[in-house]
Amino acid sequence: MSTRLRCAAILLWVAATALAVEPGTPAPDFALRPFDATSPVRLSDYRGKVVLVDFWASWCAPCRQSLPLYEQLRAGFAAEDFAILAVNLDEDAADARAFLAQHPVKYITLQNPQGDIARAFGLKGMPSSYLIDRDGVVRERHVGFEPADIDTLKREIAALIAQGRHAS
Amino acid sequence: MRPESRARRLWLVLAAALLGGCAATPVAPWERGRLARWDMGWDPDPLQAAMDRHSHFSKEGTSGEIGAAGGGCGCN
Repeated sequence: MSTRLRCAAILLWVAATALAVEPGTPAPDFALRPFDATSPVRLSDYRGKVVLVDFWASWCAPCRQSLPLYEQLRAGFAAEDFAILAVNLDEDAADARAFLAQHPVKYITLQNPQGDIARAFGLKGMPSSYLIDRDGVVRERHVGFEPADIDTLKREIAALIAQGRHAS
Repeated sequence: MRPESRARRLWLVLAAALLGGCAATPVAPWERGRLARWDMGWDPDPLQAAMDRHSHFSKEGTSGEIGAAGGGCGCN
């Protein structure tokens, strides 16, 4: 391979990875409207808490599986500095509302039918979740969902909550 | 500019425009809602598909013709 081709390949690779939010980088801030309220919710308002940002849609089978399990996760950490922000990417909000009516969750569900926040995070697949520490830095990224992932998440969340407690 | 070279240039532009039509931006993971609809599947109804296959191999005498190993004996 010639040097020029090699350079082009490296540049392309760098360009492709630069778009995605990787663990260790600050999470892009967003302000989105919840389904059940009019005033937007901002990610930066949750600074100081461990936040799980979950991107989901009602048409995505593993997402449908994940919501009730995330609700259990929320309940388990209800007394801690932990919050779940679920960003819904359904083009038609009615689809999401119908699903939420069947499977109600107590954590905040936000609307992003344009998908610009998903683009800002550089989503690689559906669902994708990002675990963000108290300083707003992405620490873990999960693409896809299996019920067993909940145990991994529980460990990661507990570790991040404990970290902040020692620092303060 | 000579007429031939102008024609050649025109062809080049046309070919480039046609090729440009082939370029497609990949569908983002969050934009696959419509693709995920049940009626967008190859076999939207599994039961109907199984019945179709059954009548097909029964008529053709080619059991296993659709993807299964050892097809074609007609003995099923």
